[in-house]
Amino acid sequence: MTFFRSRLAALSLLATVALAPACQRAGYVAKPQLAPTTAQPVGKALPDDPKAAATIAPYHQKVTEQMNEVLGTAPAAIIKNSGESPLANFVADLQRTRASQALGQPVDMGVMTNGGLRAGLPAGTITLGSVFELMPFENELVVLEVPGPVVQQLFDYAARIKMALSNVTYTVGADGKPTSILIGGKPFDPAKTYTIAISDYLAGGGDQMVFFKALKPRGTGILLRNAIADHIRTLTKQGKPVEAKVEGRVKF
Amino acid sequence: MNRRDFLKHTSLGAAGLSLMGLSVPALARDAKPARLVILHTNDMHSRIEPFPDNGGEWANMGGMARRATLIEQVRQQEPHVLLLDAGDVFQGTPYFNFFGGELEFKLMSQMRYDACTLGNHDFDNGLEGLQKQLPHASFPFLTANYDFSQTPLAGAFKPYKVFEKAGRRIGVFGMGIELAGLVSDKNFGATKYLDPVATAQAMVKQLRGPERCDMVICLSHLGYKYESAKIDDRKLAAQVGGIDLILGGHTHTFMKEPEPIDGPAGHRTLINQVGWSGINLGRLDYVFEPGQRRPAVASAAVLPVHTA
Repeated sequence: MTFFRSRLAALSLLATVALAPACQRAGYVAKPQLAPTTAQPVGKALPDDPKAAATIAPYHQKVTEQMNEVLGTAPAAIIKNSGESPLANFVADLQRTRASQALGQPVDMGVMTNGGLRAGLPAGTITLGSVFELMPFENELVVLEVPGPVVQQLFDYAARIKMALSNVTYTVGADGKPTSILIGGKPFDPAKTYTIAISDYLAGGGDQMVFFKALKPRGTGILLRNAIADHIRTLTKQGKPVEAKVEGRVKF
Repeated sequence: MNRRDFLKHTSLGAAGLSLMGLSVPALARDAKPARLVILHTNDMHSRIEPFPDNGGEWANMGGMARRATLIEQVRQQEPHVLLLDAGDVFQGTPYFNFFGGELEFKLMSQMRYDACTLGNHDFDNGLEGLQKQLPHASFPFLTANYDFSQTPLAGAFKPYKVFEKAGRRIGVFGMGIELAGLVSDKNFGATKYLDPVATAQAMVKQLRGPERCDMVICLSHLGYKYESAKIDDRKLAAQVGGIDLILGGHTHTFMKEPEPIDGPAGHRTLINQVGWSGINLGRLDYVFEPGQRRPAVASAAVLPVHTA
């Protein structure tokens, strides 16, 4: 069957070649002649093109200079892990204080997921490059005004993964539900509306935070990465080390 | 017919020709085929320099200065080269954060890219951020299913371009992914997303008709394949006849070989995508032979060539 089909194909091609008049516009068909490897690796074996390398060089220098800027020093690495993590505490806290400064009003909570943070901060010298690795995205710091029932959904979400929030403590019950929720030391009031400092990505429903989608965030115009870098610079200016701990924000 | 059968079938077809006393090169000489080499990238994501040599999955791969060398090597051997990119030039390294895509466009211009389409990340600095970088690009951006008429980018992009290469007319059009939900609203503003299938059908009609193209290429940032009903390159190929080749992106798919998809009226479309970050440069060679516009004939004459 295969042979018959291919012989037919060969015959039809021959017929085509024989019958088709040459040089007629729109009388051509494009036929692929595929090499065994259609994806050619760009690897070490290839030397740099000198013109491209020369074009890149001044940009490379600027990037390197800026990325090597020392922002501060961490006595210990600030790592991320599932549940309450030092890194998420660090970022959620600075989100809340920075948003509060930017809007000139207190902000009740700060929310950052572990997934939104791409790498921990190393022990020792922290450079701008370290902050880029932590937050490569162009996420903006925004503030949400969140009605009590949606805040409850946030806590249900948080309790499932034992996620900590800034300015909040709670306990995960045996049934996996959040209890004893304290916001700024006061019991959670479902009738109240709370302000939350968060990234525009999460505010838009990212990381399955779909319950935020219907809310309209207030922008701060501050990139989250810059907020992190600025916070570390400020700590250094004040002579403080860069540190964050797991401090029992979530009990279970 | 799956891809393997398709390729086996066609190589048997070539063997059949030889058995009949007519070698393939002889046939090619008689028909005076002109060879077009299509080089393509997708999702380069601001990967100017190779991945760091740190033992990671892609350690030491990629790098735009190396890609420039590879492209130049091909140009020295081949007179007819078409160099295309399927979008997401922007975002992924500090070069984008610091310079907003300026260096990416400059290097692509030096490499003489012929055209590019827009990926979702090319909107990451908003319409103004994209507009600001356009003067650094000497190549056109092709996009048929985004309507920018109500935005500051009105008139900046064309839906398609016809290239005269190897004495033939090659029509290239661009297809973008739905931006809502993928790109924050403020970054795409009043850009309207048009249905890819209807738009691609109109493009084929225009390029095969008034533009008298011998070959039609779709530069797509739709993505290779989704299990859901979301439109992808495979569904587009199955629903729109008359596209010879879809060069895809978005899903960062490393395809070992192009995939043939049968579309309406017996037309066959090849799809190819080469991963991301400039790790690979895709290469497809085409010959143009006089022939009726009978897709069945074209599909029987795919000849694998065993030299790169």
